[in-house]
Amino acid sequence: KPQEEDHQSTAVPSSQMLHSDAIEMEPETMETKSLTDYFSKMHMDTVTPTCQRQRK
Amino acid sequence: VEPDDNRMEASCLELALEGERLCKLGDYGGGVSFFEAAIQVGTEDLQVLSAVYSQLGNAYFHLHDYTKALEFHHHDLTLTRTIGDELGEAKASGNLGNTLKAMGRFDEAVVCCQRHLDIAQVLNDKVGQARALYNFGNVYHAKGKSVCWSGADPGDFPEEVMTALTRAADYYNENLAIVKELGDRAAQGRTHGNLGNTYYLLGNFRRAVASHEQRLLIAKEFGDRAAQRRAYCNLGNAFIFLGEFEVAAEHYKKALQLARQLKDRAVEAQACYSLGNTYTLLHDYERAIDYHLKHLIIAQDLNDRIGEGRACWSLGNAHTALGNHDQAMHFAEKHLEISKETGDRGGELTARMNVSDLQMVLGLSYSTNNSVLSENKEIDYNRAGARPRMSRRHSMENLDLMKLTPDKTNGQK
Repeated sequence: KPQEEDHQSTAVPSSQMLHSDAIEMEPETMETKSLTDYFSKMHMDTVTPTCQRQRK
Repeated sequence: VEPDDNRMEASCLELALEGERLCKLGDYGGGVSFFEAAIQVGTEDLQVLSAVYSQLGNAYFHLHDYTKALEFHHHDLTLTRTIGDELGEAKASGNLGNTLKAMGRFDEAVVCCQRHLDIAQVLNDKVGQARALYNFGNVYHAKGKSVCWSGADPGDFPEEVMTALTRAADYYNENLAIVKELGDRAAQGRTHGNLGNTYYLLGNFRRAVASHEQRLLIAKEFGDRAAQRRAYCNLGNAFIFLGEFEVAAEHYKKALQLARQLKDRAVEAQACYSLGNTYTLLHDYERAIDYHLKHLIIAQDLNDRIGEGRACWSLGNAHTALGNHDQAMHFAEKHLEISKETGDRGGELTARMNVSDLQMVLGLSYSTNNSVLSENKEIDYNRAGARPRMSRRHSMENLDLMKLTPDKTNGQK
């Protein structure tokens, strides 16, 4: 019966049909260096000691 | 400081801040122009320069220009080392690692991830450690996936691949322990997603489902529809390999619904394609055709010839299963045309065989196209004689995975 042989067919691999590049990855996390943060931190560093001094 | 220097600093800073603003809005091309202009002007403040290099590298990374990304992250690394800025060096190493991973340079990427992790440990920076471990997992996952494994199903890959994937899972689990301790839900979501994909490739589909369910839960907490869609799609894939096709279809339908809401045509096409394949596995060929046609239309709209070829192949198979040989022939010929155009040798051979089989069924003579026969002989498929091979096109219902599924699931921890 022709069906028998065709059950072993490898002409169309399952992997190709179903999961070729199908899985979806989460995004990468890149490290950030922000100028805005850098300057607000510098600003805080110059402001904070004054405030602390005033509280004392 | 000379008045000219002051003006120079202000100008560099203004340009860099504009670059930063544009990148935050997702305009990386615009960001690159301003950062490069800022570098042209120059600055005496090495922290500013480091931030510009780093952001320029990231902008190029998002633009997929990895050569340029590498160049600037490398400048940042050199600079931070020179000035002894350890935290800055850790960050530069992490970014360099991600870039090298994207370029397929995994061994070098591993060295960068290790440096990132080492510094984070020295500084007792838990957030940095977690991020380095996530990057490590991503590098090993990508390394595992990069090895050619044509034809193999998840869990059946060469040892080299399985080793890399196992390492990826270990790093993701280490990361998970820290981000749980830190209560960082967003990071947990990302890790569960990639861990789920790693378990999937390792053939551990139950664990993959559990991870993607966690990912889905967190995506819902954040109202992150893109992440929800990814989770539904990945859950669908895992349920296919568990042999639970109805459940897979339900997940793919949710992914499709979200893809439409998000107006993302490419992922909508992917969901339709997955649904078409799932309904083929369920022997519901009418529905399979419906979804494959939807996929075909989008692929044509997006000018995606590879997707179009896949759709034609699938449509040919489904029409053959229903006995619609004329329709099947139409799609098989289209598949042949596209696979020739895209240089898909395997697809071309499959299409040639499908066309010749259908020619037989439709009462046409083999002798009308000798080239088909001679091409077939070049590749030995161990097929003797020229009898109709119709059920080859039913191959989707004979999928190996259906036979493999029970063993696979039993073999799981």
